[in-house]
Amino acid sequence: MNRYPGFLLGLLLLAGCSGDASEEGFAGLAGLEQSAAGETPYLQPGPGDRLGFPADFGPHPQHRIEWWYLTANLETTDGEPLGVQWTQFRQALQPRVASEPGPDSTDWPLQAAWMAHGAVSWKGKHYFTEKLARGDMGNAGATAVPFQVWLDNWWLQGSANNDRWQLQAAGEGWSYDLTLAIQGEPVGHGNKGFSAKSVGGEGSMYFSLVDIAITGEVVLEGKALEVSGKGWFDREWSSQLLKTGQKGWDWFALHLDSGDKLMAFQLRDDSGSFLSGTWLPAEGDPIPLSSEEIGVKALELRKGVPVRWQLSVPAYQVDLELSAPLGDYLNAGLYPYWESPVEVSGSHSGVGYMELTGYAD
Amino acid sequence: MKRRISFSSSLPIPRALLSHYRRHPLQLLALATMIVLATMLWTGVNQLTSQARASLEQSEQAVAERQQVVRDDGHALMVEDFVSLRLAGVCVMPWLEVTPDSGSRIIGVDPLAAHCFGTGASEALDQPLDGKPFVDMSSAADTPARESRFYLLTPDSTQASDLPNGYHLRTFATGPETGELGDSFLLNLEALGVLVLLITALLLRSVYLLGLAQRRDGFALLHRFGVLPGQVQRWLVVEIIALTLICVVPGVWLGRWLAAGLGGGFGQALDGLFDIPLYAGHGQGWITPVLVMLAVVVIACLGDLLLLRFRERLSLSVPKRLGLATALFMAGLVMAWLAPSLLWVFVAVALVFAGAGWLTPVTVTRFANWRADQSKAPLARWRYRELAVLARRLTLPLVALQFALAMVLAIQALVTTFENTFDRWLGQRLEAAYYIEVPAGADSRKAADWLTGHKASNPGMQWHQVIRGSTRMADKAAASSQQVDIYALAPISSLITGWGLLEAEDHPWEALAGNKGVMINEQLARRQKLGVGDTLQLVLDEQTRDMRILGVYPDYGRPVGEVLLNAEALPDNFNARSESFSITPGELGIGPVTDGLKRIWSVETLSMRDNSTIRELATGVFDQTFALTRAMTLLTLILAASALLMMGWVFFTTRAWYFRLLVVWGMSQQEVAGQLLRLALALTGGIALLALPLGIWLTWVLVHRINPLAFGWSLPMAVYPAFWLELGALSLAIGLSIAALMRRQLGKPSVAPVSASALTGGER
Amino acid sequence: MTESLLAVRGLSKHFVSGNETVPVIEKLSFTMGEGQSLALTGRSGSGKSTLLNLLCGLESPDAGTIVMQGQVFEAGGAAARKKAAAWASLRRQQIGVVFQEANLMPALTLLENVRFRAQLAGRDPANSEDWLTRLDIGDLARRYPDQVSGGQRQRAALAMVFAMEPALMLADEPTGSLDRQTAAEVAQVLFDLQARHGCSLILATHDVELAAGCQQLLDLGHLSAV
Repeated sequence: MNRYPGFLLGLLLLAGCSGDASEEGFAGLAGLEQSAAGETPYLQPGPGDRLGFPADFGPHPQHRIEWWYLTANLETTDGEPLGVQWTQFRQALQPRVASEPGPDSTDWPLQAAWMAHGAVSWKGKHYFTEKLARGDMGNAGATAVPFQVWLDNWWLQGSANNDRWQLQAAGEGWSYDLTLAIQGEPVGHGNKGFSAKSVGGEGSMYFSLVDIAITGEVVLEGKALEVSGKGWFDREWSSQLLKTGQKGWDWFALHLDSGDKLMAFQLRDDSGSFLSGTWLPAEGDPIPLSSEEIGVKALELRKGVPVRWQLSVPAYQVDLELSAPLGDYLNAGLYPYWESPVEVSGSHSGVGYMELTGYAD
Repeated sequence: MKRRISFSSSLPIPRALLSHYRRHPLQLLALATMIVLATMLWTGVNQLTSQARASLEQSEQAVAERQQVVRDDGHALMVEDFVSLRLAGVCVMPWLEVTPDSGSRIIGVDPLAAHCFGTGASEALDQPLDGKPFVDMSSAADTPARESRFYLLTPDSTQASDLPNGYHLRTFATGPETGELGDSFLLNLEALGVLVLLITALLLRSVYLLGLAQRRDGFALLHRFGVLPGQVQRWLVVEIIALTLICVVPGVWLGRWLAAGLGGGFGQALDGLFDIPLYAGHGQGWITPVLVMLAVVVIACLGDLLLLRFRERLSLSVPKRLGLATALFMAGLVMAWLAPSLLWVFVAVALVFAGAGWLTPVTVTRFANWRADQSKAPLARWRYRELAVLARRLTLPLVALQFALAMVLAIQALVTTFENTFDRWLGQRLEAAYYIEVPAGADSRKAADWLTGHKASNPGMQWHQVIRGSTRMADKAAASSQQVDIYALAPISSLITGWGLLEAEDHPWEALAGNKGVMINEQLARRQKLGVGDTLQLVLDEQTRDMRILGVYPDYGRPVGEVLLNAEALPDNFNARSESFSITPGELGIGPVTDGLKRIWSVETLSMRDNSTIRELATGVFDQTFALTRAMTLLTLILAASALLMMGWVFFTTRAWYFRLLVVWGMSQQEVAGQLLRLALALTGGIALLALPLGIWLTWVLVHRINPLAFGWSLPMAVYPAFWLELGALSLAIGLSIAALMRRQLGKPSVAPVSASALTGGER
Repeated sequence: MTESLLAVRGLSKHFVSGNETVPVIEKLSFTMGEGQSLALTGRSGSGKSTLLNLLCGLESPDAGTIVMQGQVFEAGGAAARKKAAAWASLRRQQIGVVFQEANLMPALTLLENVRFRAQLAGRDPANSEDWLTRLDIGDLARRYPDQVSGGQRQRAALAMVFAMEPALMLADEPTGSLDRQTAAEVAQVLFDLQARHGCSLILATHDVELAAGCQQLLDLGHLSAV
C-alpha cells in the first residue's frame, strides 16, 4: 500500500474532519457530519436542485466532493481499440460559499485538495498516473468560464464558446493530447440532474456529455499513436455519496452501435443494491431508469474483480453482456479502483467504460 | 497403544528430575534468574542498538542532502515560484522552516505536493504532521515566526533541463551529514551486541552446568533404576526449553523496559536535533528476541549433550587441547592482521576469543601451580594451589568476566575515540561560526575584497573562501585517470591551520599559503599510496599539473578522495560546484557582514548556516549515544560480575570445610579470612590483567582493522590507562565481595563433607 | 602418675533446639596425664564430637573449666578473643586433630599436606617424607588426596599430626569410614606411634575394639569414668 494515505489522513484530521478516517475516501466516500454552529455548512443536493450552465461546469466549493470525468473509447489508425481516462477530483476539507473569494495563497490554505487521474489502456496494458495538489494555490483548480480544469501541467481547456475542448496529460511512459468536439446538450440524470444514490433519497447532482468526438495523439513508451473515437464526460458533485453499509459501486457508460446510449450504476449494500440509470435513445429525450427497471449481474471474476457482466433493461429490450479486455485495469492510486473499457455484445453491440470500486483491497 | 504405555511409564522421570529442584529451589531460581537477566541484557542492548540505528538513520535522512530549486536572480522564492514550477510540470515540494517566537523549530511541508516524489524516494518526508517537527504548510505559514526560510525541494531525478528559465538546481542540506561515521559507529554497536550474546551464553552455560553437576547423583540413581540416559536427556531438553520459554518472555519485557528507560534521554537529545522522535520505529518485535534467546539457551546448555557423540570423537587430551587453543589464538591474531575483508576479521576475532577462552583458565592454573612450586611459605603455596583449582572450577564465569572486561575496555576506548573523532569531524566541517553561500552569478572577488578590508579593522574576524568542485587525477603509470574532489581555499586562514595532520612536512600551512603544494585526505593517500613529498598530478584546465604533497589530513567518513589546495592554484575557468565563505565575524557580529554581502551581491537574502547551533545539536546527540553505549557495556559487566559472584560463592561454600580445617589447624578466623581475601583478589585481579591485552587488541581490531576495511578510513587509536585502573578496581571489588561472603560462611558450624566427590569441594 | 596434661572440671554444654535446651554434656570432670590415651564412647549424639571440639577450643563450654598444659580456660567471662587466640595457638602447635575423613587439603599432595601442617606448627618440615614412609605411604608422597584410598588418606592424616609433634591428639572416629581390615591397620599404626612418641590421645569412637586399645575409657552414654 502506498505510504501517503497516512499523510492525507493527517491532512484531513488537521483540517478538522472528524469521524472514522478509514471510512473516508477521496472519491466520495466522505462521511456526513453536522458542522458546528456559525460555520459554513456543506450543501446537500436534493430533488429540488436544478442544473445551471455554464456555472455547473465550474467548481462547487460548498460541496464536499466533486469530479470531472472523461472516459473515451478510441481507436488507433489501424483499428486497435485504445481506452483513455482523465479525471479530476476536488475534495473539500472546509466548505466555502461559492460567491466568496478564495483564500490567499500565501497562507498555504487547506480548504480543498485536488487529485487527478490519467490512464491509457492499450493492448492489455494499463498506464496510470495520479497527481495531488492543494487547492487555492493556483496550480490546481477549475473555472466555468472560460471552462478549464487543471492540476500542474495537466489541463482540460474549453474554447470560447465551449464546444471544443483540449485535454493534455502525461505520466510515466504515457501522454496524450486530445481534441474533443462537444456535441449535444448536457444530460441531467435522475430527477433533472439530481441523481439519487439510496432509497432514503440522498444523492448527488450529476450530468453528462455523451456525444463527444475525439481526435488526437497518444504517446506510449515514446511511440506516437494517432487516435480517434468517442468520449463520455461526467460532472458530479455532492457532499455525501455512500451511506454506511454501502460497499462500493459499479458504473457503466455505454455507446451502443444502434446510436442508443446507456448509463447505469449500482451501489452495493449489505442488504442489497441500489440501482439507477439513464436510457438515452438515439432519438428522443433521456429516460431515467429506476432500480426495478435495471438488472445487473456479475458473470466472471478476475482476481476478485468482476470483469464480465450481464446488464439488462427489459423495458427497452436491452440485454447486454459487457466484458473487459484482457489485462489488469486497476488504478493503483491512493484509493484503488477498476477503470476499463468494455466491449458490448448481446441484444446490442457497442463499446463503453466501466468503473468498479470497493473490490480492491 | 504402545505410545501410551511408553509415555505413561516415562512420566515418573520428569517428576524425579524435578524433585531435585523441589529440594534445591535456589538452584532453579538461580538458573531462571540468569536466563531472565541474560535475556534482559541482550534484548536491552539489541533494542537500543536498533533504536540507535533507526534514529541515526532518521536524523541522517532529515539532514540528508537533497536537491532544491532556486532562482537564477538570487531572489527569495515565493508561492508564485512554486505554482509556476508546478504548472511547468516540475515536481517541487515546499519546505518552510519556521523558528517561532517561542518553542522549537517547525518545518512546514505539503504532503499533497510531496506525492510526486513517489514512494520511498522521500522517506524522510513521510513523517506524521504532528509538529515534531513537521506540520502542514498552512500551520507553518500561520505561525508567528522569529525567522523563516522557504525552500522548494525537488527529487534527485529532476534534471537542470527540466526547469523553466530563471531557475537552477542546488543541493539542499539542513545540517551536516554524519555519513559513514554514523554507519561505522553502528557497525561497532552491532559487534557489541554479538559479543554480549556470547558472554550471555557463557554465563548461562556456567550456571546450568553447575546445576547439572549437582543433579549428577540423581541421574546416577535413575540410571541404576533402569532409566536409559537417552530418556533422561530428552526430559532435560524438555525441561530447559520449558524453563527458557517461561523466563525469556519476562526477560524480553524487562529488556525492552530497560531500553525504554535508558533510551528516554537519548530520545530527548534527538528531539533536540530536528525534533526527530526516537521511537519512530518500534524496535523489533517479540519473536526475534524470544527465538534468539531460546536458541542461545539450548545451545549453551545442551549443545554438548546434543552433540555428545561428536564431542566424544572430538575429545582431546589436555596438551592437545592446549595446542589447539594456542593454534587458534595465534591464527586469529595473524588473520586479524592480514585479513583482506571484514568477514575474515570477524572470523579472526572469533578465533582469538575462542583461543583466549580456552587458554585463560589454563594459563591461570599453570601460573598458579608454578607459583605454588616456587613458594617456600606454606600458606602461599596452599593459596596458589587453591587459585589453580578455582580457575579450573570457575572457567566459564571467569572467561565470561574476562570477555566482558575486554569488551568494556574496547568499547570505552572506541566510544572515547569516536567522541574525539566526532569532535574533530565537526571542527573540520564547521570550522567557522557561519557559512555563507555565494549566490549564483555573484562576484565572490568583490566579497573577498570587502572582507579583507573589514578584517583589518576587526582583529577577531577570521574568514576564507571555499571553492568546491572536482577534477581528474592523472595516473602516472596507467593511462586511466581518477576523479577527485577539489577543496580550494583562499586565503589560508587560521580557521583551518588548526587541523591536525596525519603526516606533514615542516610548516605545511605556510607552504600551502604560498601555493607551494597541496594536501590530500586520508582516503586518497591510502588508495593511491601517496605520502608527504610525493607528487600528485592533477588535470586542471586540460593540463596536467604536478603538485607536491605537503600533508595528509584525516577526513573522517568521506569515501571520496579530496585535494586541498590554495584557490590561487585553480584556473580562472575552473567549474566550481559551489562557492562559499566561512566566516567567524569576531566582535563585529554577523549582522554587518551579511548586510555588507547582501549589498555587494545585490540580493535580498543569503543562504547561510549557523554552525554553532548545528555543532551544539550534533554534540548533544552524540553525547547521548555514547553515554548509552557506556551504560550498556557497564550492564554487561555487572551481569558477568554477579554471575562470577554467584558461582564463586557456590564454589566457596562447597569448599568451606577445607577452609575451616585451617581454623582447626590453629589459624584464627581473621587469618583464614585474610587468606581467602587474597585468594579472591588474586583470581579477579588476574582475570582483569588477562582481559587487558584482549581488550586492547579488540580496540585495535575495531579501530584499525574493521573500520578501514568497512569504510576505507581509520580512526585514531588511543588507550586509556585511567579506565584500566577503574576496571581493575571493579574486579577487585568483585573479589572483595566474594571474600566477604566467604567470611560469613566461615562463622557457621562445620559439618564434615559426606563424600569427597567433585561437588563437595574435594576437587583439586 | 605422670604430670597432668589436661584437667576438665564441671564441663557442661547445651544446644538450643527450638524452645528446648538439650544438654549434651553435663558437669563432666576428668583428668588426663601426658602420654595417656583415653577413649570416648557412647552412641551417636552422646556428645563425643562436641567434647572433642570443646577440648580444642573449636566450641566454647557453657560452664566448667578446662586446664590444658597449665593454661586455664573458664567458661563464660570476658576476653573471648584472648581465649580464642590461646586455643588457636594450642591447636597450631600442641593439639593435632584427626577427623573421620577430609583431613587433607585437596589441592596439595600428601607430602605438601604434611609439610604444610608441620610448618604451621613451627616444626621442621624436613622430616615430612619420613613420616609418610613410616606410615607406609612414602611412595604416594606426591599423589593428591583424591588419588589414594581412604585408608591411605587417613594414614597421611596421622602423618600430618605426628609431623607437628603434638602434645595431644584428638581423633574423631579416625577409622570410621574404613573397612575392618584397613581400620585395624590404621588403628595399629595410631597406637604404635602414640606410644612411641609419647603424645596423649583422646579417641572418640563407637568401635569397642578400638576403644579397648586405650588406657582409659569414658562412656559418655553413661557418664561414668573408668
